[in-house]
Amino acid sequence: MPVQGRTRSGRSRAERRAALLAGYRPLPGVFDEFIDGSGNVRPHWEPFLSGWCALSPSELTQRFGLADRHVRDTGVSYRVHGDIDERDPGVGERAWPLSHVPLVIPEAEWQVIAAGVTQRAELLSTVLDDIYGPGELIAEGHLPAAVVTGSPDYLRPLHGIAGGGTLQLYAADLGRGPDGRWWVLQDRTQAPSGTGYALENRLALARAFPDMFRSMNIERLAAFFQSFRAGLVARSKRVEPRIALLTPGALNESYFEQAYLARYLGFLLVEGGDLLMRDGRVHVRTIAGLKRADVIWRRIDGDFADPLELNSRSALGVAGLVEAVRQGQVRVANGLGSGVVEARALMGFLPALARHVLGRDLILPNIATWWCGQPRERRTVLDRLGEMSIAPAFRGAGNGADSTQVVAGELPETERAALRERIEARGMDYVGQEVVRLSTMPVFQNGRLEPHPMTLRVFAAATPDGWKVMPGGFCRISDEPDARAVSMRNGVRSSDVWVTSEEPVAQVSLLPTPDRVSIRRVTGTLPSRAADNLFWLGRYLERGEATLRLVRALLGRQIDPDPAPGRNDTVRQLAGMLVASGAAPGGQEKRTPAAQAYAAIYSLDDYGSAAASLREARRTASVIRERLSVDAWRLFGDLQHQLDPEDGRKPSEGETYEIADRALKSLAAFSGLGQENMVRGNGWRFLDIGRRLERGIATCRFARQLADSNASGDNLDALLDLTDSQITYRSRYLLGASLQPVLDLVMLDPYNPRSVAFQVERLDTEIANLPALADDGMLEAPRRLVLRLAADCRTMEASRLDRTSILLFEQLLMGLSGAIADRYFLQNSGPEGSRMTSIA
Amino acid sequence: MIYELRHITTYGYSRPVPFSRCILRLLPRDGNGQRVLKSELLITPRPAERNNGICFFGNQMTTITITKPHRELKLEMRARIEVDRPLPPHAGLTRNWEDVAALALDSRSLAPDSPAHHLYPSRLVPQVPVVVDYARSSFEAGRPVLEAACELMARIRRDFTYDPEATEVTTPLAEAFEQRHGVCQDFAHIMIAGLRGLGLPAAYVSGYIRTIPPPGQKRLEGADASHAWAMLWCGPEIGWVGLDPTNDLIVADDHIVTAFGRDYADVAPLDGVVIGPGTQKVGVAVDVVPVG
Repeated sequence: MPVQGRTRSGRSRAERRAALLAGYRPLPGVFDEFIDGSGNVRPHWEPFLSGWCALSPSELTQRFGLADRHVRDTGVSYRVHGDIDERDPGVGERAWPLSHVPLVIPEAEWQVIAAGVTQRAELLSTVLDDIYGPGELIAEGHLPAAVVTGSPDYLRPLHGIAGGGTLQLYAADLGRGPDGRWWVLQDRTQAPSGTGYALENRLALARAFPDMFRSMNIERLAAFFQSFRAGLVARSKRVEPRIALLTPGALNESYFEQAYLARYLGFLLVEGGDLLMRDGRVHVRTIAGLKRADVIWRRIDGDFADPLELNSRSALGVAGLVEAVRQGQVRVANGLGSGVVEARALMGFLPALARHVLGRDLILPNIATWWCGQPRERRTVLDRLGEMSIAPAFRGAGNGADSTQVVAGELPETERAALRERIEARGMDYVGQEVVRLSTMPVFQNGRLEPHPMTLRVFAAATPDGWKVMPGGFCRISDEPDARAVSMRNGVRSSDVWVTSEEPVAQVSLLPTPDRVSIRRVTGTLPSRAADNLFWLGRYLERGEATLRLVRALLGRQIDPDPAPGRNDTVRQLAGMLVASGAAPGGQEKRTPAAQAYAAIYSLDDYGSAAASLREARRTASVIRERLSVDAWRLFGDLQHQLDPEDGRKPSEGETYEIADRALKSLAAFSGLGQENMVRGNGWRFLDIGRRLERGIATCRFARQLADSNASGDNLDALLDLTDSQITYRSRYLLGASLQPVLDLVMLDPYNPRSVAFQVERLDTEIANLPALADDGMLEAPRRLVLRLAADCRTMEASRLDRTSILLFEQLLMGLSGAIADRYFLQNSGPEGSRMTSIA
Repeated sequence: MIYELRHITTYGYSRPVPFSRCILRLLPRDGNGQRVLKSELLITPRPAERNNGICFFGNQMTTITITKPHRELKLEMRARIEVDRPLPPHAGLTRNWEDVAALALDSRSLAPDSPAHHLYPSRLVPQVPVVVDYARSSFEAGRPVLEAACELMARIRRDFTYDPEATEVTTPLAEAFEQRHGVCQDFAHIMIAGLRGLGLPAAYVSGYIRTIPPPGQKRLEGADASHAWAMLWCGPEIGWVGLDPTNDLIVADDHIVTAFGRDYADVAPLDGVVIGPGTQKVGVAVDVVPVG
């Protein structure tokens, strides 16, 4: 390396280091991850810091950009509670706030954390097995029965059932106290979230800092997921079990993560409505009939998993799931009743339970907790109320006014007195906890590093070889400088966790070893709901396209300096077609055609507008997110941007024409993605069927409106525009547009990819390839209908086509759509299905 | 006392229902001073699957699946039951209520009859501070638990009006309390909310009560009704005592128990999922006939 260069970069490195550290002042009385008590950078952070200092500010910005683009491109998002619009799942989705500084933890320290988390997972598993089993810990007085019964997650119907509370994935939220020790703030046993986010954070930072990532020997995450998967497989009796991830749906705050994990782990993403219990077994409703589900990894609360035996108000679950679990026909992970040990009340008993059950102290202590259901503990809490944090002992306990954690000393005198009274009256609803101060870690802000409080979520998975802890985790960083544990609720940023090893680390990938894979060309199962959504995604996209084509044809005529005869009539007709298809408001005779065209692009109030069709397309796409590629998702972003009226200014006719034209190009790109990049499986087939049907129906409508017996030349010209058939027509016929040749090209020509006949041929091919249920040799309804359509298209002559016969084609296509829905989609279930109420 | 019971429920649907899966809790439970001599449940249309079981709280539970389209579901329960309960304890001699609360909290059992299951709010009995305040005025310090509870029961009977028009199955108890109107289910829930708010274990019971026609009139066929009341745990020696706030009665041989739980949701006669569009109408006929 040239000496001169080193000197120069060495000098600026030192300067950069000084600049980064300039404002870093650890908070008094708080442990800082980065700087030690005497103000020096802790040694295990040095490689990271020097890695950063090797980069110029502009390089650093460029690296951040890489990470942020990765986050944006994969569409990592989360949802904020209470910020939901049923009609548009895009509302309330927030971009993922990634902090570019990872939390660095040396391996030696990590081993203590891992041992502590493993020990806790074992302890909580034992307690769960006892609660839903023999109840010895309770009978012997190690755990009051009321600590169990107070939890809404104690599910009585699971009592005595094998696996009722089995823990498969456990998470602990940790914080580090002022003395440098790690503490458990909260146990997560219900359905812990965050593994997918941890993985995403890892991919984003690894993309930004690949060099550091290699040189610092950072422990990889893939092996953990492999073990987790193996653990789920081992629960099943079958060698290649069908594993389903049960999601609450696209409106859930961490739906993105669920879709992401399903794709990463190769699980089927299902909602309650996709599953059906029959003969004691749980099945996935697929387009090929019922397929058995062996293992269900649930991301819904246990209580919501079965409206029959658990919460009858749940619309998320599977009626009869508990019975299937009881009969041992399906494994649910975590066990449905596992949430009961999340209760804060239990934390007060864990130190003694560890000694009794495991014969040793907790490696990772939890925050000191006193359950006020015991007289002595209640007295302690009341005596020290001013210095304690008071929290509900159970999820949802208390009476609303105090359903969250409060620091009693900070309450106004009257409120504190009222709290004291409530604790005296019903102590069992409360715990007192020591107020914990969290440690701080660096966050890059305003060009330098600043200390911010953080918590760390660590995951452990039960596997055939015992508990495995993810070497890393999900780190949440507060924006507030307040380092008390209670203020972490609004943790706003997250970061990757780097466990650094002394030795180079082994590389593991989820890709299986080649000799163990049997070759397959057909990928798995397509749930009926996914097929339904893909079908409608295709239809909505095509509907948006049809509207945009109408707009373009209309405005193209408006801005044409040399109008053809009869042009005004054609323009009026096109505007009328926009109204008829619901793209523009009716009853507005005074509005100019251009104003109607404008509405047809932007108006979300008109269900047929391009913007509304796109919104619907996005809604259907968002519930099958795991089936769409990143590129497809990005195109949605582009389209949405294009169809968003900028700053409320009304564009001119020419500009609107261009907007429609550009949006059509984006849609063409979407089609191209589907044609070139999607495997020709059943998923693609339904997307294509949706598009073809919609296109066929729209073309029939265009032809009916514009090509009747007294159609003007300009009408026929518009029809050729709408069906993109101008060039073909001109290459075949020298004269101007005339009725029968145009109708033949648009309706019957099987070689014109925009004709109705072409759509029907494709529909015939695709439907023939779909799975059949009947084995009696009879044709199923969709196939029967499409065969008839194909025969009609082939035998029809252009001279016999008129409004009536075109309408018949249109009706047959709509009938085909209905037949496909009846046969392949979930009918009469989900929200439309009613619930029986009973009487007193 | 021996009773013949008949309870017919008919669900009519405006459009055919292709599939339904339900849990029925219509067959009466055994024990605690009553013996089921005979019981049966007739279901039309005939279910494709039918399983009898016992729920966590020991109630009879019938799970059915109907897979053929139907416009009507008819459930007919018939039973012959002998009721012979021990005399209720002398209210003034029961433990003081604070002791009972402390003993319940200290319970070492998760068995179905453990008081620990009935200390906390449940789905239909949330904590409502005004209801607890209402109950508290009967619970002076050191008062025997059953004496105080009987006073609360008498006050509910006095302060509330029985009014089938005022509430529905889904009316929250706070609303019924506000109106001071309701039916047996509301009164039972209100009483349970008050007792639990004070830390006392209180449960919900569904069943029937023998009705005595006015002098000179004949008992009307099918005119009886299903009933509901509360139960209070009075300490390990006495255990559970039934309290009927609708009639201001300690439960004895005029009451027949069907099921026991934390609130109505645990004992609802029918819980289920019907797949299909349309609305439903319900008809009920009950006969409680003492036969000896």
